[in-house]
Amino acid sequence: MTQDPRDTPYEPAEQAGLATFAQAWARAVVDTSYVSMTYAEIEKLLHQLAGRIAAALRGPSPAAVSAAAYEVGTRLVAADLDSPETLGHTVAVIADRLLSDLGLTGADLGTRLSRVLEGLATGYARARFGRTLDAQETLRRAATVVLEDAEHKLREHEARFRHQATHDPLTGLPNRTLVGEWLDEVFASPAPGARIGLCLIDLDGFKAVNDSRGHDIGDQLLVGVAERLRQVVADSGHLLARFGGDEFLILAEGTTCPDDAAKVADRALAALGDPVCVDGRRLSVSASIGVVEGRVDTSNARDLLRSADITLYWAKADGKARWALFDPDRSAQDVARYRLAAAMPAAIDRNEFRLDYQPLVDLATETVCGVEALARWHHPRHGTLTPKDFIDIAEDTGLIVPLGRRLLRQACRQAARWQQAPMPPFVSVNLSVRQIRSPGLVADVAAILDDNRLPPERLHLEITESTAMGTDPETVATLRGLADLGVRLAIDDFGTGYSSLAYLRTLPVHELKLAAGFTWSLGLSTPAADDEAIVATLVSLGRTLGLTVVAEGIESRTQARRVRDLGCHVGQGWHLGLPQPPERVTALLTAAGRQRFL
Amino acid sequence: MGRPSWAPEGVDTDRPSLARMHDYALGGAHNFAVDRRLYEQLISLMPDLAAHARADRAFMRRALQFCVAAGVRQFLDLGSGIPTRGNVHEVVQRAAPDSRVMYVDIDPVAVAHSREILAGNDRARVTQADIREPERILTHPDVCKLLDLDQPVAVLMVSVLHFVMEDPAGIVAAFRDATAPGSYLVVSTITSDARQDRMAAGQEVVAQQGGLLTALRSRAEVERLLAGFDLVEPGLVWAHEWRPDPPEGSAADLDQPFILSCLGRRT
Repeated sequence: MTQDPRDTPYEPAEQAGLATFAQAWARAVVDTSYVSMTYAEIEKLLHQLAGRIAAALRGPSPAAVSAAAYEVGTRLVAADLDSPETLGHTVAVIADRLLSDLGLTGADLGTRLSRVLEGLATGYARARFGRTLDAQETLRRAATVVLEDAEHKLREHEARFRHQATHDPLTGLPNRTLVGEWLDEVFASPAPGARIGLCLIDLDGFKAVNDSRGHDIGDQLLVGVAERLRQVVADSGHLLARFGGDEFLILAEGTTCPDDAAKVADRALAALGDPVCVDGRRLSVSASIGVVEGRVDTSNARDLLRSADITLYWAKADGKARWALFDPDRSAQDVARYRLAAAMPAAIDRNEFRLDYQPLVDLATETVCGVEALARWHHPRHGTLTPKDFIDIAEDTGLIVPLGRRLLRQACRQAARWQQAPMPPFVSVNLSVRQIRSPGLVADVAAILDDNRLPPERLHLEITESTAMGTDPETVATLRGLADLGVRLAIDDFGTGYSSLAYLRTLPVHELKLAAGFTWSLGLSTPAADDEAIVATLVSLGRTLGLTVVAEGIESRTQARRVRDLGCHVGQGWHLGLPQPPERVTALLTAAGRQRFL
Repeated sequence: MGRPSWAPEGVDTDRPSLARMHDYALGGAHNFAVDRRLYEQLISLMPDLAAHARADRAFMRRALQFCVAAGVRQFLDLGSGIPTRGNVHEVVQRAAPDSRVMYVDIDPVAVAHSREILAGNDRARVTQADIREPERILTHPDVCKLLDLDQPVAVLMVSVLHFVMEDPAGIVAAFRDATAPGSYLVVSTITSDARQDRMAAGQEVVAQQGGLLTALRSRAEVERLLAGFDLVEPGLVWAHEWRPDPPEGSAADLDQPFILSCLGRRT
């Protein structure tokens, strides 16, 4: 700290007085404010400030006294000697002893002392006020910085969170959530006539890759596929997303026709044409794609995605490694089919499936020798459904097995009842491929026969030609097991598939049912010559193998006569009797119910 | 633990801040109404609180001057609050301009505030950290840049340990072990040995207002925290008794002191 020459008093006595005053001042204010100075430093500062006041007091100008004291007040505050107590003690010590310590006397000294106090208090208060405002400003800035920082972090966090919530971490592609938002936006305010295309892409056989090579390789493959598809959409304005699992989705806005979307699908398939390099190995991939394209204003996001899903399924079902384009008619059928499939388990439980029976007439005696059990679904809304409406669905869902077992039991129970009739018929029941392949069929049949005390030869089981020709050992063993029970086996719709005659000879089959297609023209006034020849040949074949030959599709007397003349043993068809409920059949089994068919 | 990870702690300026209350106690204007309100409540319980706060700071100043005189040029102030008046860098850089000061505080407003005040002083820095995580502080890039821990450093724990509930000994030991021999530890802390009734009432007030927990310790407990340090004379004493300046005693006589202080030298 340098000493200002103006502050230095001239007389040694005055110097001593000044030092005395400075010591008293320091003692008065020490610990009234918190300062970073030592006591000695405080005393030195106050000595200097007191000198400044003393010099002014000795001068001629009262205004200069005020100004000097003002400056001293300011410097006290600047040195952190700024508490109200410091000011109070300072005023007191100046008023009490400044003049006497300095040895000053004079007429106007009282007024000058007032100027000192006035100037010091004013300077002090002014500086203190300024310092407070500065402090408040600093504080405000600091708080603002912190709040802005917090807000910035919050925004960053939100952005990061949003990215995480809308993107797939593996491939970095947008995820299903973001696709939902895109579509919501597209459909929120569609321009008139605007169209949109979706390609739902699913890798073929991805599960096998995962299972055989591990999820790590599977994940890397997905990343590789994502990269290929990124190139497909690059610069096209189309959006690519990972829709879940091994499904990707390309959304193409502004298409003009289905072909536009199909072209995108073509490019996607082409992009996956080359193997994807994963972990140093080249993995071949293929994908199936469901393509949907249509107007925005007549559809909605949910339907569009559903359609894409259905169409993807078609592409898979049609053989994979291809795209399929959505077709509303096919979709409607699928929907109906799906609804029936969904309703079927409950329908089985509610006994909505029952059997009608169609007579099989011995063409030699014109008597009903047997009946074919035909399933009917008495659907509460759709009325009576026939097997062509539901058997495929039951096959696909596997429900054919429980349903078949139930109907078989029902048929055998009915057959057992008819054993009391004057002319007891056999009952012929259809077996599906899945039933044949389901383990325990032979045991089931044996138990059902046993439960109903039905002579086994009264049960005929019909299988299709392709089932019969299935050469797997299990099927053959099952057929043999059934035959060993004494049950008779018929090949249904014979002549519509491929039969190995050599193989047919080794099968435990008892009956051939000729498909209606062969007998149809026999009802015409001039039957097709080749039909006649074919029937004759098949009859001859059957007879050679010792099999009963049944002609299906007999719709007229003429047909009945002709097939009889060609050597068929048994006939079946509308002319010989419609499928009907069992109680109506019962009436046919008496002498009174006998009819003339030929 | 309801605070999300992205939100800095204590940005709520509607709640009293210890740093700003301390500033107010020392006569500063870097504070808000909430801080002053809580402080006034405490003053109604302990009218001489400001004098004790000043005594505490004065002890710190004297301890720092001792350290500078002993050749220490590096200072790590933990729980520094707002370095407004007479703070570490002012004291030590006045005595030795090449002194480097690292301020650390948990309160982000205080830290932002400190940054405003320290702007332009490249030998004084501030960072936000929790004294309870010594490892993070000692490996913090700002700390490593400013301080050379292979050289003696004075670590300040001035009026901060009574806010540390768990394992203060572990924290002190962590800083002790990370510093070079010849380093110093400046400690002042409120003790539970004095003013027990009013302390409890004061804690209650503080807890109701801002939830600032205080962990008051007995002299014996404080002594146990100082393992591994040789205490500079006169040892662990009331703040105003530690090497008073002027030596004959200060103008304000402190009645019933409650802040224990000491300066330890790492052995």
